[in-house]
Amino acid sequence: MIFMMWNLFSRNLLCHLRSKEFFIWMLIFPIMLATLFYFTFSSLDQADQLQVIPIAVVEEGMPEEDSAFSDTVRSLSEKGDEQLFQTQFISEEEKARQLLKDGEIDGYIQYENGKPGLVVREDGLNQTIIKSFLDQYLQTKSSMENILQENPQLAERLPSLFSRETVTEEISLSQNAPTSKVNYFYALLAMVCMYGGMQGLNVVSFLQSNLSAIGARKTVSPAKRWKLIFADLSAGVTVQWLAIILVILFIRFILQVDFGPQLLPAFLTGIVGSLTGVSFGMLVSVPKRLKYSAKTALVVAVTMVFCFFAGLMTSGINYLVEQKAPVLAWINPAARIVDAFYCLYYYDTYYQFFLNIAVLLAMSLVMFGITIFSIRRQRHESL
Amino acid sequence: MIEVKNLVKRYGDLIALDHFNLNVRSGEIFGLLGPNGSGKTTAINCMLSLLKYDKGEIRLFGEPMTPNNYRSKQKIGVVMQNVAVFNELTVYENIDYFCGLYVNDKRKRKELVEEALRFAGLEDFRKFIPKKLSGGLLRRLNIACGIAHKPELIFLDEPTVAVDPQSRNNILEGIKKLNREGATIIYTSHYMEEVEQLCTRIMIMDKGKEIATGTKEELKAMIRTGEKLTVELFDLPEPLLSEIRRVKDVIQASFDGEKLSVNCKTGSHAMISILDLLRQNGMHFGRVYSEPPTLNDVFLEITGKQLRD
Repeated sequence: MIFMMWNLFSRNLLCHLRSKEFFIWMLIFPIMLATLFYFTFSSLDQADQLQVIPIAVVEEGMPEEDSAFSDTVRSLSEKGDEQLFQTQFISEEEKARQLLKDGEIDGYIQYENGKPGLVVREDGLNQTIIKSFLDQYLQTKSSMENILQENPQLAERLPSLFSRETVTEEISLSQNAPTSKVNYFYALLAMVCMYGGMQGLNVVSFLQSNLSAIGARKTVSPAKRWKLIFADLSAGVTVQWLAIILVILFIRFILQVDFGPQLLPAFLTGIVGSLTGVSFGMLVSVPKRLKYSAKTALVVAVTMVFCFFAGLMTSGINYLVEQKAPVLAWINPAARIVDAFYCLYYYDTYYQFFLNIAVLLAMSLVMFGITIFSIRRQRHESL
Repeated sequence: MIEVKNLVKRYGDLIALDHFNLNVRSGEIFGLLGPNGSGKTTAINCMLSLLKYDKGEIRLFGEPMTPNNYRSKQKIGVVMQNVAVFNELTVYENIDYFCGLYVNDKRKRKELVEEALRFAGLEDFRKFIPKKLSGGLLRRLNIACGIAHKPELIFLDEPTVAVDPQSRNNILEGIKKLNREGATIIYTSHYMEEVEQLCTRIMIMDKGKEIATGTKEELKAMIRTGEKLTVELFDLPEPLLSEIRRVKDVIQASFDGEKLSVNCKTGSHAMISILDLLRQNGMHFGRVYSEPPTLNDVFLEITGKQLRD
């Protein structure tokens, strides 16, 4: 019996591995989509990053006693994560005006009547930032001067009065910052898992004499139906697992998307998610009167609906469904797969992760049970 | 070997099998002949437990045939009308896969697969995938997949549809060889020449019913036509055609503008009388030939329509 099972399993495995559809839909398509996500998010990240603003400070007319201003500007121009300006100290205004005209600086600061003022050529984000800095500096300076004038005894406490310490402490649930970006990749993986539905559909269809000539040939053979299902399903699930693991490895190591500290639970999510996808496809294949093409369309359409509500196309829709219709969120296998991946990324504990895995396993078991019960002695009204 | 009693199969209002009876003996090549839609494939699918039926009894190898009768299934080989092979597997792998549904022993299976390859003339194509095979070779692969495990009873459902003449001859010779090696064969076709050439007994079916059963000689003996006469001529006046119809032993005569066709009774000498009549009336005729009746004539005389209608 084992030899027979092995023969059926290995031949089925060969069929899957040689199938162009398998490579296109299970490997090439998700890898291309993940790469597309990667480049899209990379350019968005670059756009979001604050660029260092080139400015100039004209020393001409700067009061000698106002060294605090140049010290502040210098400290904000020091190279590092908190660098805000790239500053040129220029002796004459004419040179600064030329630099501004040439577009080499976004604005320059010059003293007039003992006060620093800003000169810009156009409005923009950088110009607003320079203006905000200058306003804040002048306001702080003015407040300090007032305090010193009216309460000179507070001079020693001035630094602590103007320090920007917060009294609340931010405690994160995780070492990782919350982000919706990774959800797109997780939803993509959920889609690959749910595409396992095609494996499940094919396994049962190739056993149904009304849907395929191969199904008829298998049905008239003395091989018991459960053996055929087991061998075919094992092969289908094996290639599905292979595909999901390869896609996870690609996303993790080539695209550098975080799956949390360990990769094994991510594989487990992919494996259990694939099982759910395969079981879903098997369940769709049960109705006797539906044609194979209609069943294929149903698997693809329902998978896309599941993935849409899991956040593949729109960020945050999964959280919206979870708030407004939590039951729908819990019976959507794609949403559970996404949540399981996100739990690995964000939470330091595994409680929520294993809850998702348990729900996925329960769904698989129910769908698999209904399928086996329905097709075990199926004969047809018509072929 | 096969016993079917009062089988009834309905598709809604349509009766596909109407109290259908069949008895096939061991060692026969039994032909089911009938036009498309006559119920041949439905009968086979019911016998194989692929289809539910409304009434009747089916026994194979003396046992009731059910989906769980694995003992009987072990001895059956099936070649379906539609080619049933995996497009991703090679010729060898396909035969090995389907043989593996019946035979566990790897060494024995290897021998059987090699034998099936030789039988179907596919040795040179063992590493080909089905897409690379011609229509005829694909049909041969379909047959090889169905018979590789050396079944005692083989169902062949129109195995030569869309096959070139060379492959058809190859297939028919192969079927005869399988029969000589001990297999009982159920062969369905709407090609009467094939059935005549191959089958030891034939059942003619129409509208889900048995029309007649017997050897080809027995079937032909059931009808009045014993000889078919054809005379090539350019013109035949209607009065003369009526006179020909009145000649002794003439059953039916017709003229289509080029040929006079006459069906005569068995053992008659109507041909001489008809040719004399044509000569006497100054008719110039070309070739004259006589042939025995075909199964189509049997079908025509019993049902009033052509087999290929």
